[in-house]
Amino acid sequence: MIMNELIEAFRLVLAPDVLIAILLSSIYGLVIGSLPGLSATMATALLVPVTFYLSPIAAVATIIAASAMAIFSGDIPGCLLRIPGTPASAAYTDEAYAMTRNGQAEVALGAGLWFSALGGIAGTISLVVMAPALAELALNFSTFEYFWLAFLGLMCATLVARSSPIKAIASMLLGLLVACIGMENPGGVPRFTFGITDLLGGVEPIPALVGVFAVSEVIRAIVSPEPPPLPSRRFGSILAGQLTLTRKYWRQMTRGNIVGIIIGVLPGAGADMAAWVSYAMSKRFSKEPKKFGTGHPEGLVEAGASNNASLASGWVPALLFGIPGDTITAIAIGVLYMKGLNPGPTLFTERASSMYALYIIFILANILMIPLGIVMIRAASSILRAPRATIMPVILVCCAVGAFATGNNLFAVILVAAFGVIGYVMENNGYPVAAMVLGIVMGTMVEQSFVTSLIKSDGSLLPFFDRPVSAVLAAMTITALLWPAFFWLLKRFRPRQQRQAW
Amino acid sequence: MRLSDRITGSVITTLGVLTTYGGSRLPPVPGQDVGPSAFPMVIGVGLIICGVLIALGIGHSFEEEAEADLAAIEGPTQRAQPADPLTYRLRALLPPGLLLFYVYAADRIGFVPTGALMIFAAALAFGAKLRVALPLAVLAPIAIHLIFYKLLRVPLPPGLLPMPW
Repeated sequence: MIMNELIEAFRLVLAPDVLIAILLSSIYGLVIGSLPGLSATMATALLVPVTFYLSPIAAVATIIAASAMAIFSGDIPGCLLRIPGTPASAAYTDEAYAMTRNGQAEVALGAGLWFSALGGIAGTISLVVMAPALAELALNFSTFEYFWLAFLGLMCATLVARSSPIKAIASMLLGLLVACIGMENPGGVPRFTFGITDLLGGVEPIPALVGVFAVSEVIRAIVSPEPPPLPSRRFGSILAGQLTLTRKYWRQMTRGNIVGIIIGVLPGAGADMAAWVSYAMSKRFSKEPKKFGTGHPEGLVEAGASNNASLASGWVPALLFGIPGDTITAIAIGVLYMKGLNPGPTLFTERASSMYALYIIFILANILMIPLGIVMIRAASSILRAPRATIMPVILVCCAVGAFATGNNLFAVILVAAFGVIGYVMENNGYPVAAMVLGIVMGTMVEQSFVTSLIKSDGSLLPFFDRPVSAVLAAMTITALLWPAFFWLLKRFRPRQQRQAW
Repeated sequence: MRLSDRITGSVITTLGVLTTYGGSRLPPVPGQDVGPSAFPMVIGVGLIICGVLIALGIGHSFEEEAEADLAAIEGPTQRAQPADPLTYRLRALLPPGLLLFYVYAADRIGFVPTGALMIFAAALAFGAKLRVALPLAVLAPIAIHLIFYKLLRVPLPPGLLPMPW
């Protein structure tokens, strides 16, 4: 039975259109990720219109391949220019650049590549192991559990945001408010549409995502100075010495993988958070913390292993519950629905071959990363020379066309412009946009499970805490909600000790 | 555009009040206690609480920590030029403006001319030289049109300049 499905999965992946899609989207991801200001999420958002015209497996494959490559190649400008190509590389950019200054650019880039690939594979293994086990459990979930799960997801997104938790909650509520727009609600009445017919169908997540992640980056670029061009240089062997590093730092690598996997599973927290946490952890537990920041590969190993591991595990809640594990899977969920692969526990029983195909694509993309990554590193100095003035205008037009393509509707382009401005203003004032995106994507699900549960329980709140699983989830959610308040009080009353504890 | 917490907090509070009010006026489902108004009202109340807390500056310390981390990585260069002239900062309005221009113009003059104008304007704003901006504005829309119209079958409006494919 499993054998048959595995063979079927290989047949799905080895189809020529899927292989071509993986190769092209890998190259695309490598280039976009390496350009400062163009993040992995943006690369994925701009891919969506392309996925409309692909087969379901090819569509998912483009997203997996492009995002994995982009997260790695964000390390390249970070290492050579001290400008992270994607936010996920920001945590260890300084370290990598210090290594380049010490003449160890090859080791730094090689470590980025090697441990990214290994991390990606570790993340995939976690996906393979965790998802079917959780699917068994999830089959018994009712709307009460789904409500708490969705709510917990939203709270996690606000907890891990690198900002004030109150602002993060406000962003999340704004996202939920956006999701309220339209007629798709328990009463079927037009809500917050202000008489605009285009709003009756609600705000589609894709144009909102393109606006928040792509247009706001274009706006940010236009008001900030151009990064310096990359000096052209020749590299020695990229992978030399990586085995020694692996042997020396396998403990750090494993810890990075595990932390990355955990952070990936948490809704809303993605690769950038994983890198920050792992780098800090590496420094904290290192035997030689003094060396950090001076070109020491230890933190690089751990954080590089972590951010790519989080990518695959981010798909666990996305596939099981339709709750995005990070901003990339927030986009991927939309694509899954469009392709008839509706997220849910039954995906693993009824469409098992598609799931196996997904695992194979993950492994394939991470193996492919090594040769393509080496080529990319060697070509980086010429690719990074492409001036921003030519790339950003083209991206802007692609945003317009991509949003238009989602429904052949010009209103989507207006949404893109509006969300571009909203995203830019929010990000500039410390409101994390990832939390808002999560709210937009999950709004309908939260409301449906909330209202359906309330109707089932006749307006009583007791059944929300009655069922064992939902009680556990409720406790976790409430802890997540109160944690920042507790922390804030602690800090307020013990300012001195707190400084030392950090 | 960096606004004080007081301003953004009040904006959010106002939005929360409007949401609660708008939500409470939604018609209920007959025979049902919980209807379409329940969720917006919960959100509205949440927004009011958050807005007030933000305006009072609670939770600001978390942000300072995160910013200190980021500043340590990115160095002081990012914040070195606080007093940019207003015209420079106004360029932030160009990308959304060009998108709205696309909405207005795409059906009237067609995709390729609209795209060309957008790219030309944006390239100049990014500081490209004329000999880069002009060929880019001519070639890039044609390439995008080829990919999206021919390969991905997005019905882009032909307008004044229909492409031969």
